Amino acid sequence: MAATGGVIALLAVAVVAGVFGSMLGVGGGIIMVPMLSLAFGVPIKVAIATSIVCVIATSSMAQTTFVSRGMTNVRLGMLLEVATSTGAVAGGVTAVLIDGRALQFSFAAVCVYVAWQMSRRGGDVTPARTGVLEAVYYDPAARRDVEYGVRRLRLGFVLSLGAGNISGLLGVGGGAFKVPIMNLLMGVPLKATIATSNLMIGVTAAAGAAIFYERGYMDPYYAVPAALGILVGARLGPRLALRFSARALGVIFQVVLLVFAVMMTLTGLGLAL
Amino acid sequence: MEPIERVIRGILLGGIAASVALMVAGLVLGVARGGGLPRGVVPLAELPRALAALRPAAYLSLGLIVLIGTPFVRVAGSLVVFVKERDRRYVLVSASVFLVMCLGVLLGRA
Repeated sequence: MAATGGVIALLAVAVVAGVFGSMLGVGGGIIMVPMLSLAFGVPIKVAIATSIVCVIATSSMAQTTFVSRGMTNVRLGMLLEVATSTGAVAGGVTAVLIDGRALQFSFAAVCVYVAWQMSRRGGDVTPARTGVLEAVYYDPAARRDVEYGVRRLRLGFVLSLGAGNISGLLGVGGGAFKVPIMNLLMGVPLKATIATSNLMIGVTAAAGAAIFYERGYMDPYYAVPAALGILVGARLGPRLALRFSARALGVIFQVVLLVFAVMMTLTGLGLAL
Repeated sequence: MEPIERVIRGILLGGIAASVALMVAGLVLGVARGGGLPRGVVPLAELPRALAALRPAAYLSLGLIVLIGTPFVRVAGSLVVFVKERDRRYVLVSASVFLVMCLGVLLGRA
């Protein structure tokens, strides 16, 4: 990539990935990996290493806003982190056993299914008190306090193991499943879900990044401009998430899921990446 | 903010500030020395010497290490808060997360 122009382009892409990743709680890796490898010609392992750094930067920066607004359900996040990180570590081990292509197609199918479920439901969940990990936050778009409790904690925990496992196998897509698990299944309102997912994605990414660093796939030439751009974007994303209505955020999330599905199908067919 | 929220926010802000400062220092050194952005990170073992020699790659590498290390410190910090609050269940939860993270790194190295 041409020296200065390339760095500036990478910074700009990273800002956009930081905004979307933090606004939706998905981390932005799915934007960074194909952009780096297709548009910037970065070798795939270096692209993944850079994207993992971006996920960490998104998570840390987004939390500074979400946690201070009381949007993040810290206890729920940490409990599910046990499942997602265990699943991700196991994913690295089981990766050899499963056909990558079948997995990519199933990932795409699940994305479409989740988007359909979310659109069928229409708006956000109706929050209800359940006595489990209850929390309250102020929604500036709705101009009211939202009080909620967590439903189906056990099932959510088990499915989070699966979500972590898939992200360990594919290297992407952790947040794309964490958000629907918490929102659709566990009854956590979308904004609290996005904030909590943002906290969780940093954990699995950090363990992965340490491995990539050690193996020499980390390249500051890409990682530093990408991280700096992400930090700017992830400062804006949570503010946008707070301002949008939950319904609008849900629609954006569904569109992103469908884009994920198309990209994973293309990858599975060997047409990209 | 609850104590756990304050601690998490503080650790993350500190981690971001330190890593940005190191990366900017590396960029400034790179420009000053006229070499542009260096390729490849400095391995951990060589880092102290490279930092002392003011190699731009060393500062960029350390900036990335601090960024990557921040979630580890965040989980460890949460563990300390839960210990102080005598919240046994979440002491166990955060200790498990921390152990699995470390296990992931160890398995990945093997």
